[in-house]
Amino acid sequence: MSEHQIKVTTRDGHELSFGCSDDCDVVSAAEQVEIKLPSLCRDGGCGACVGHCDSGQYVLGQFNNTVLSNEAVAKGEVLLCRTYPKQDLHISAPYDYAHIRFGKQNMRQATIIHLEKIAERTVRLKLQLIEDEAGLAVEFEPGQCMELEIPGTDIRRAYSLANTGNWHGELEFLIRLQPEGKFSDYLNQQAQPGQILNVYGPNGAFGLQADSFSPAIFIAGGTGLAPFLSILRRMAEWGEDRAIHLLFGVNQENELFCTEELEKLQQQLPSLTVTLCVWKPAEAWSNGFRGTPADALQQSLSDKPDGYDLYLCGPPLMISAARQVAISQGIDEQKIYSEKFG
Amino acid sequence: MFCYQCEQTTRSENGNGCHEVKGVCGKDETTADLQDLMIYGLQGIAQFAKRMRQAGQPQTKADEFILYGLFTTLTNVNFNANRFVQLIKETAQWRDQLKTQYASINPTDCASLESVSEQAKWQPAANMPGLLAQARLAAINLDVQSLGEDVVGLRAMLLYGIKGAAAYAYHALMLGYRDDAIYAGFEDALDFIASHPSNADDLLTWCLRIGELNYKVMEMLDAANTGKFGAQEISTVNLGTVKGKSILVSGHDMHDLAQLLEQTKDTGINVYTHGEMLPAHAYPKLKAYPHLVGNYGTAWQNQQHEFAQFPGPIVMTSNCLIEPDSAYRHRIFTAGPVGWQGLRHIANGDFSPVIEAAQALPGFTDDTVGQQITIGFGRDTVMSVADKVIDAVKTGAIKHFFLVGGCDGAAPGRNYFTDVAEQAPDNTVVMTLGCGKYRFNTHEFGDIGGIPRLLDMGQCNDAYSAIQVAGALAKAFDCGVNDLPLSLMISWFEQKAVAVLLTLLSLGIRGIRLGPTLPAFLTPALLAKLGEAFDLKATANAAEDIQDAMRAAT
Repeated sequence: MSEHQIKVTTRDGHELSFGCSDDCDVVSAAEQVEIKLPSLCRDGGCGACVGHCDSGQYVLGQFNNTVLSNEAVAKGEVLLCRTYPKQDLHISAPYDYAHIRFGKQNMRQATIIHLEKIAERTVRLKLQLIEDEAGLAVEFEPGQCMELEIPGTDIRRAYSLANTGNWHGELEFLIRLQPEGKFSDYLNQQAQPGQILNVYGPNGAFGLQADSFSPAIFIAGGTGLAPFLSILRRMAEWGEDRAIHLLFGVNQENELFCTEELEKLQQQLPSLTVTLCVWKPAEAWSNGFRGTPADALQQSLSDKPDGYDLYLCGPPLMISAARQVAISQGIDEQKIYSEKFG
Repeated sequence: MFCYQCEQTTRSENGNGCHEVKGVCGKDETTADLQDLMIYGLQGIAQFAKRMRQAGQPQTKADEFILYGLFTTLTNVNFNANRFVQLIKETAQWRDQLKTQYASINPTDCASLESVSEQAKWQPAANMPGLLAQARLAAINLDVQSLGEDVVGLRAMLLYGIKGAAAYAYHALMLGYRDDAIYAGFEDALDFIASHPSNADDLLTWCLRIGELNYKVMEMLDAANTGKFGAQEISTVNLGTVKGKSILVSGHDMHDLAQLLEQTKDTGINVYTHGEMLPAHAYPKLKAYPHLVGNYGTAWQNQQHEFAQFPGPIVMTSNCLIEPDSAYRHRIFTAGPVGWQGLRHIANGDFSPVIEAAQALPGFTDDTVGQQITIGFGRDTVMSVADKVIDAVKTGAIKHFFLVGGCDGAAPGRNYFTDVAEQAPDNTVVMTLGCGKYRFNTHEFGDIGGIPRLLDMGQCNDAYSAIQVAGALAKAFDCGVNDLPLSLMISWFEQKAVAVLLTLLSLGIRGIRLGPTLPAFLTPALLAKLGEAFDLKATANAAEDIQDAMRAAT
């Protein structure tokens, strides 16, 4: 079994290197030396660990083609959780050094303090960290996620945080209940305030590009709203107004949620506009756009197609559709940032 | 982007200066260009402020905005481009407000606008591409093709001296000390720069005038520090840590530290100083707070490693910020002129978010024993034993004084300053100030007849103390400062050091050795000119420089 040297260059020019054997993927190899590269599902299904291999040979394990197309693979794009080196590799990462975490990832514990159904098949889960040697603080960048684990089981899922970093240990998640999903079943049938969950993280590199000055369009599909809520809440908290148009889409109007929070954010952020998109609304529905967020994007870009940063979060099909619209309307592919929710 | 205002700037065969997408300090191209544009706008404010002053209506608040604006552009202060977009708008608003006021009292002159330059007429573009296009007109090296590097270098030295002096004046202002004559000096100097000066002699004269201005600024800051907190006293500082919740305060702003100490009183939170905040432990009214428990870490360039280890929030009160590592970026706060996109900012002196963070973070779980160091040798302390010092010089017990002071930095050549301090003969005294001392202030230097051989005079701005001590010695020995057994080995890093250097030159102090490398804006011709006029020279070999100094002393 050969050991290869992996060199990762982050978007802001930092370099780090570590060893990785033939039979180990790059994300796991980094983790063995306490380098936590941004990743979520670790199974080739979400695209959170995408990178570009500049040199060296490798084998890609199985992955979901909707997160990495054949064209992207041909260009050297890789999912680092599915990349097995055969030579030394030089990888360019599309995130900044600040998104890499170092040191052993400790498990923390949190108590369920609030569980509420907020829409059809969607719940809001609030946790309170239990003070430990790390204190009470919860620190993350808006857009990042935490992994939640049911103690005593191997059921562990990553969910984006909807609140902002705070010193009180509060975590808020918006979770879509998946049919036959193990964690969803737990939330639906067993979970109640007072119960304990194990918490790992934060992880992920999705988030607002701090060094951009372009107006942004946020496209949220369902609970893909969570990271955008986190970003907007922090902007409001820190008084960082910036021209943002949020397109929040669901299938039917009874799936809409957090609309009051969005109205409140609009009052705090004068440059924020929000469009609710419902694909198949009832006849009488008149509170927003009738169609998908991709359709709404098409319409909003038709009169002023360039100069936007585009952020996408939600189901893979919605992201693909919105991406296609954006590219066809002239948005630079380099200015499209996305996170897929499986 | 073009920037060569600090010591670490890129140096290459193709020319010196950071001109890539990011400077060595971490400042990106957009921020650098916006900073240039804001400086351009500040020159416009200064022109109307000067005219308003001449009309008998000084504009103190506008002058204070100028100080703040200048300070934000110093190395390692503010990296937040969005902040500069806002500041550029405010710059134009201030300028227009003054222009309107001036028009009301002098309609003829203002209407013609013949007496002001384009900086007073410029209007900021509405969007980022427009602002960046305008910034090209504001680059420090704009005229280098037509005027040559010497003139551009002198313009740069003047501007950087102004920036440094503004930072000191801002610190004094925070403590409630302002001086209209000093503000007039800033207006005059910026007005002069706005005229696109191209005569080298005029520029050099103005550089020395800024040196004189900065002397007054440092005097004002000294009065502010001692007036608010008492004169420095000889004090022992704990370099270890104390079990409990903790906050680390870095930078130079004593007012921020004082507010934080007051707000954390009786909370059980311990406060530690970092870097240039070390001298706080020597001021009676600051060290009276029992929860000011020690100094953590060393010089600014080590912060990424040291801050990662600190188990509480960190407050950056002035320059010294470098890109926060992910290990601590969520618990580092900026204050005053400091900024970095995505960091929490304290804008109004209310440190309750920092206190909240300290209570949530673990703090130190155990006491750790650290070295105790002695500080507090400001001018009052040294003057109080002046008779002993003078006697020691007269008896030959003290043969020479070395002032080894200034900024620290990452360059390996900075070992020179450690070598000078360590290799200085036993019958010499080493005076130090600034954060360069972190390279040697934990070493044992012993004493000469009870006078410590290492005298820590304080922050870089406490060069004023060193000048006062030198002046007192010269008076006692009835000679000029240049005739004293005194050598100055000055380490420079950023624009405050440029201001201090210009002050020393304006006082006629000769033979200063500057290092570890000379400023990139000092061309060979300029260096030759300063060498001829002031015997200014680069640091060389520590042993040889000491030998040279001691030879001159005998």
